[in-house]
Amino acid sequence: MNFPKPPVGMLPGDRIAYSPIVNRKPLKLPNRARMVVWTITNVEEWDPTQTMPRTVLTPPAGGSPMPDIPNWCWHEYGNRVGFWRLLQVYDDFKIPGVMNINGAAVGAFPELVQACVERNWEFVGHGFTQRNMQKVENERDDIRKSAQVLEKLTGKRPRGWLGPGLTETWETPDILAEEGYDYVADWVLDDQPVWLKTRGKPIVNIPYTQECNDVAMMLIQHHKAKEFYDRAMDQFEQVHKDAKDSARVMAISVHPYIMGAPHRAKYFRKIFEKIAKKKDVLFWNGSQILDWYLKTGPKAPH
Amino acid sequence: MPMHPRERLPYSSIENRPLLKFPKGVRLVIWPVLALEEWDMARPMARMVISPPQGQPQQPDHPNWSWHEYGMRVGFWRLRKVLQNLKISPTVTLNARVCETYPQVAQACVDLGWELNAHGYDQVPMHKLDDQRAVIQKSMDIIEKFGGKRPRGWFGPGLTQTFDTLDYLSEAGVEYIGDWVLDDEPVTLKTTHKPVVALPYNFEIHDITMMALQNHPSEVWHSRAIDQFNWLYAEAAERPKIMALACHPYLSGVPHRIGHVERTFEELLGKDGVVAWDGSKILDWYLAAKAT
Repeated sequence: MNFPKPPVGMLPGDRIAYSPIVNRKPLKLPNRARMVVWTITNVEEWDPTQTMPRTVLTPPAGGSPMPDIPNWCWHEYGNRVGFWRLLQVYDDFKIPGVMNINGAAVGAFPELVQACVERNWEFVGHGFTQRNMQKVENERDDIRKSAQVLEKLTGKRPRGWLGPGLTETWETPDILAEEGYDYVADWVLDDQPVWLKTRGKPIVNIPYTQECNDVAMMLIQHHKAKEFYDRAMDQFEQVHKDAKDSARVMAISVHPYIMGAPHRAKYFRKIFEKIAKKKDVLFWNGSQILDWYLKTGPKAPH
Repeated sequence: MPMHPRERLPYSSIENRPLLKFPKGVRLVIWPVLALEEWDMARPMARMVISPPQGQPQQPDHPNWSWHEYGMRVGFWRLRKVLQNLKISPTVTLNARVCETYPQVAQACVDLGWELNAHGYDQVPMHKLDDQRAVIQKSMDIIEKFGGKRPRGWFGPGLTQTFDTLDYLSEAGVEYIGDWVLDDEPVTLKTTHKPVVALPYNFEIHDITMMALQNHPSEVWHSRAIDQFNWLYAEAAERPKIMALACHPYLSGVPHRIGHVERTFEELLGKDGVVAWDGSKILDWYLAAKAT
């Protein structure tokens, strides 16, 4: 199929050719591990003068009156209280943390951010604000500013990027590569890392998830809290089985205001109670997955 | 000048705060909230259980009005029985207009000595009122006249507020609100008048959210509350925890849900150190505990 080309950037098919996972050269993990699990925590700051990104309670007779203080408070709970429940799980099971945070939010929750810096979490670029990349006025400036804030905070440039709501323009991977990011996780099209071509240096995409993701499951699909655990385990068992001959990656993505609620926290914890001791599973952050892929995976395309 | 929420309450992580203490023997407080509303048939209904053929809401919306009215005619009395049997004295948050349109219901609450808390005049978001200050005063006055005491607490209809609602509430004599669900502990909010305390309410152990918006099976009323409780109860070994449960007669008072509501309260109150307090009592505890 020939689709009309965008004026700048590339069509997805021009960045990555179709490739069935069964026909690739096998990927091997160290110590005969079969798969990697990486867990991403998303922290956002919601502006009470704007429409809330999500709501739990709608006003009588519907509509979205402004300001929306009840739903702003619901989200704020995650950063005041809920986050600490998730952190305890990461600490107890020695799971390396990956923080996905808007640049502008870094200054809003100093104790929360400090707790992650102290634990040497990986900070991933996540846009300067929680606005779709298509709507950001100056994309390059936003991507650059996000990196600067995180570098100032941690002393290291972020290597990874995950767009707000995974959104991209046709040009996003090009700009990310030019601005020095090494990987992106917006492309949920595979169980293994893949190379994406850009107009400059290629960039790696690491498997992320919209399915083992609490926004989708709890807020959009309205599943019971236990479904988060059930689905994660079903996903885990299948990926583990599939990874017999070639390694695969599974992602779990959470938000403190959702999985950090008391009635849900137990189901998040239970996942790690179940899988943390598996001998053939590695718990890595995005950077570790990237380094492994760069070392053992296929060479970057020209 | 309307205040940004963080000007009223700066961000603070629960991890590093001074410890509040419950009286000896109390480990966790449950806060039952019973909400009584008036749905004006001249307007779109606050919630809907059934949408009309082709989906477009019509007025008058007789089917959904009746659905709510059932709660006041039948459901409330079931809930009253359950709460009475378990010796629970809930916070009753009511649209002031309920005192005019359902005096039998409001009187039943007064007779049992239940706390009356103001929930606006009728079930309309605060944003839609031309004169919030006047409606707040009127609501407080009507409930005070009916119940003999000025309400100490307030829930906005749909928990709605504008940036200046809190200032008007404080002027009208409101001492606590339940609209801010941002913490597990009471917090003190700055206003242009006296400070107002936000008690830890929540939108998740809440029948509208669970049943009318997220469409969970009735059984989730019980299972989610128990999950919430178990987690908070464990944490309550370290810090005092308060757990709110919100009921509306048209949702929680129907035959297929009331059993789940009843066994939830029964099981929670059967645990060591668990007591049910109304908002007024939680407020008094907090003000005293904060001072020491």
